[in-house]
Amino acid sequence: MISPDEFRLIRDYIEQHCGIHLTEEKVYLVETRLTTLIIEQGFQTFGELYQKAVTDRTYTLRDKIIEAITTNETFWFRDLHPFGILNETLFEKLTADIQSGKRTKIKIWCSACSTGQEPYSIAMTFMEFTRRHPFFKPEHLEILATDISSTVLFLGKTGRYDNLAISRGLSDEFKARYFEKNGNVWTINDDIKKMVRFQKLNLQENFNHLGKQDIIFCRNILIYFSIEFKQNILKRIASLLRPDGHLFLGASESIIMYTQEYEMLRHAMGLYYQVK
Amino acid sequence: MRILSVDDSRATREFIRKAIDVLGFEFLEAGDGKEGLEVLQRENGKVDLILLDRHMPEMNGMEMLEAIKSNDLFKNIPVTMVTTELDRDEIQNAITKGAKNYLVKPFTQENLIGKVMESLEMTL
Repeated sequence: MISPDEFRLIRDYIEQHCGIHLTEEKVYLVETRLTTLIIEQGFQTFGELYQKAVTDRTYTLRDKIIEAITTNETFWFRDLHPFGILNETLFEKLTADIQSGKRTKIKIWCSACSTGQEPYSIAMTFMEFTRRHPFFKPEHLEILATDISSTVLFLGKTGRYDNLAISRGLSDEFKARYFEKNGNVWTINDDIKKMVRFQKLNLQENFNHLGKQDIIFCRNILIYFSIEFKQNILKRIASLLRPDGHLFLGASESIIMYTQEYEMLRHAMGLYYQVK
Repeated sequence: MRILSVDDSRATREFIRKAIDVLGFEFLEAGDGKEGLEVLQRENGKVDLILLDRHMPEMNGMEMLEAIKSNDLFKNIPVTMVTTELDRDEIQNAITKGAKNYLVKPFTQENLIGKVMESLEMTL
């Protein structure tokens, strides 16, 4: 059993190291997800886990705690609207810049990419765009996919999905066009795979080194963060976006109360944000 | 990579096989410890990781672990123990006897792959 003091210590440690804010009703979640780790490491109590984690300079234990706590719910073309907005407006505008020589490529960052469904959905959306605009090639789009979990990044990088994962949000047409089926495993085409680069990244840390981006996807992750961290990350994202760059959030997320740095835009039924 | 799952539950082996398929690794299986050792012999020890159920009828996981660690051909193959209980003594005992880590049922595909990566010391 985790004591109230131990819960508070571990809750604060998690928030400090990955920004995830756990409320008091998450005691059970922390207890169930970390108990195996405690036993496996040979610790007796949650307090001991905390003490070892704060003194572990290799950060191995920190990463294990974060892996155990994070949730990786994802599917293809989640909420649909962001991909419609890319296809119908943003890709038109950004590729016009390529044609006029203002830029050489479009840069998109998926900040919490999980097992790759979001970045690959963006890549497939661009491939569909290029079917209508054959001048543009996959090399004109660069997608950086980051996550805090090595496990999900590893899965994303393989580009291989089982029947259950593939069935969540992907049309038969796209399955046939962009995947190869072998037994129960669906492998994404190399053309799509090559457009996405996976990299481990903790959003708590400085991400300026990623370079300026045209579009940033930060979807269904802000809900796990405290108000202060939401404000902090939205500010840093704004400074990473190119002038007139765009931000996509999850369908149920709103940022109006946390920042004034973005203008909310609407296209069809979908919302997105442009940095001011 | 070649992964051997030793488990008397066909359903668990099937779940593991599907996850291993996604990784593109080769999957080998056995229904108990005795059969597991036979697979290791047959494959001449050419297995990269063993996922070993703790509780099995013929030869249980702890007995197979001891047999693996006392065999020169097999002793360096990492072993991840798989169990249904969070029993501190059992887990510690297995770690002491050479298991690399532990996986507690029920586990998700991601839990499993995380342990496989950790056991094989794989990085991105």
